[in-house]
Amino acid sequence: MLSIMRSEWYKLRKSWVIWLLFIPPLIGLFLGQISMGDIGEANQWIIKLVMANATYALLFLPLITGVVAGFICRYEHQEGGWKQLLALPVTRGKVYLTKYILVLFLVLTMQLLYLGSMLILGAIQGITDPFPWEIVWRSILGGWVATSPLVALQLWMSMIFKNFAAPFSINVIFTLPSLLVINSERFGPYYPWGQPFLMMNIGGEGDNFFFIPWEQLLMVVGGSFIVFFFGGYLYFQRKAV
Amino acid sequence: MEYIVETNQLTKQFGKEKAVDGVEIRIPKGEIYGFLGPNGAGKTTTIRMLLGLMRPSSGSVHLFGKDLKNNRIAILKRVGSLVENPSYYPHLTAYENLEAIRKIVDVPRARMKEVLKLVRLQDAANKKVKGFSLGMKQRLGIAAALLHQPELLILDEPTNGLDPSGIIEMRKLIKQLPEKYGITVVISSHLLSEVDQMATTVGVISKGKMIFQDSIEAMRRIAQASIHLRVNDPKAVHQALLVYGQKADIKENSVAIQTTADEEVASIVQYLVEQGFAIYRVEEEKRSLENIFLEMTKEEQIR
Ligand SMILES: Nc1ncnc2c1ncn2[C@@H]1O[C@H](COP(=O)(O)OP(=O)(O)OP(=O)(O)O)[C@@H](O)[C@H]1O
Ligand SMILES: [Mg+2]
Repeated sequence: MLSIMRSEWYKLRKSWVIWLLFIPPLIGLFLGQISMGDIGEANQWIIKLVMANATYALLFLPLITGVVAGFICRYEHQEGGWKQLLALPVTRGKVYLTKYILVLFLVLTMQLLYLGSMLILGAIQGITDPFPWEIVWRSILGGWVATSPLVALQLWMSMIFKNFAAPFSINVIFTLPSLLVINSERFGPYYPWGQPFLMMNIGGEGDNFFFIPWEQLLMVVGGSFIVFFFGGYLYFQRKAV
Repeated sequence: MEYIVETNQLTKQFGKEKAVDGVEIRIPKGEIYGFLGPNGAGKTTTIRMLLGLMRPSSGSVHLFGKDLKNNRIAILKRVGSLVENPSYYPHLTAYENLEAIRKIVDVPRARMKEVLKLVRLQDAANKKVKGFSLGMKQRLGIAAALLHQPELLILDEPTNGLDPSGIIEMRKLIKQLPEKYGITVVISSHLLSEVDQMATTVGVISKGKMIFQDSIEAMRRIAQASIHLRVNDPKAVHQALLVYGQKADIKENSVAIQTTADEEVASIVQYLVEQGFAIYRVEEEKRSLENIFLEMTKEEQIR
């Protein structure tokens, strides 16, 4: 498993995909810069973060995640990589798990870069309020957890389709509606693509560790993770290459 | 007998079509097995199943005497392969491609230089494979297959895209593998001439069915030359020869006998002349192995 991870990381780090991870944080930085929300008395950090988190979590986090998942399969699809890799002494389960963990790791990295970009933003704008570390950590980790089922689905789709556009389109099709769905009291909590936003929405419910109720976390995030992860896992086990 | 490769009633069905149909491969250790068949015969499909890349519809694969289904990892540690077009990561150099594999199979770094040298790619080691010619990619594929010092090497049309000198080089390389390293080699091709100078055993597959499997000598025996006699009355000559005790076949306007021994041919001709037949031509017909192969696969296609 470790050796597969080393090989996967090697292939990945020699490609330019990693630079994609900088895009969403940079966009967050930019949006935070131009947004001039001023609610007065509240902590200035919170205002900035509410603004920036929304676009980041609703759009760029899921979209870039899909692109990364696509790329991690793309170089296998391109020139017969799958058949070379799977004819080596590796189990398919481990290859699948490795790729999944690797994307998760990249998403976490992206979350941290985003956190960094917010700190930079504050420095640029000269915010002097104390940085709400506790709240921010919860939203960074929450966004990561909420993305994990989406990563699984995107990996699954990327393994099925040789061409890069198909899984990307599927990703867009599910991501865009979340702009609307999260506003719905009835459906918002159940839409997996809306969860990254809800879990990063620091203005949301504050009683739990994360910004959504535990039941919702288990049912929606946990449930969709199980379906997507094992769907992809079983698919990959049987895939003929 | 202990076989390195053994399949039992190996079958793969795509929809209604059986791409591989009840194939029984038997390859002893140290052989170079030429796996022959025309396009679409089922060679690649068979090889995919040998490597566990594709599940058989029915039947089983045993490599090194072990069932592939239950011992995949242990078996694949000992197998190197190149399936269909060479596989590679275009964004990596030749060296990096091998490194990505090396991290999994865990051999010393020096081995990469060794195999690159073996396929004469050492000068291009640090170039991106994207820009390689087909022949260079093919060589890299073979280097990758040899990287972990396999005991069984499975090559699917490895000479595809190589120029004549490349083919000769490859042949030399493959030929020495059994003697030098004790490697058993399976090499598929749709041309007999490509493998007949190195193969020790031949398997011919056509329309998914194995129609011949034996040593190359056995195949050569079938290909033995025959003598064709063009005569005035083939039917009568055929009769006369049977009386003489010589097996013969009537062709269009000639009679064919299987013997080519000078003495025998001389006495048969003398006999026929004495019987009053007019002999116009005595011709030797050499059937090439390629012809035999073509005939074999053609017959199968008519059925
Ligand atoms: N994935 C697939 N789905 C459906 N049919 C397939 C598939 N793969 C192969 N076939 C069919 O199986 C048959 C055997 O194909 P295969 O690739 O094994 O032939 P081959 O002997 O390797 O031919 P070639 O010399 O052209 O490489 C062909 O008729 C092909 O169309
Ligand atoms: Mg083929």
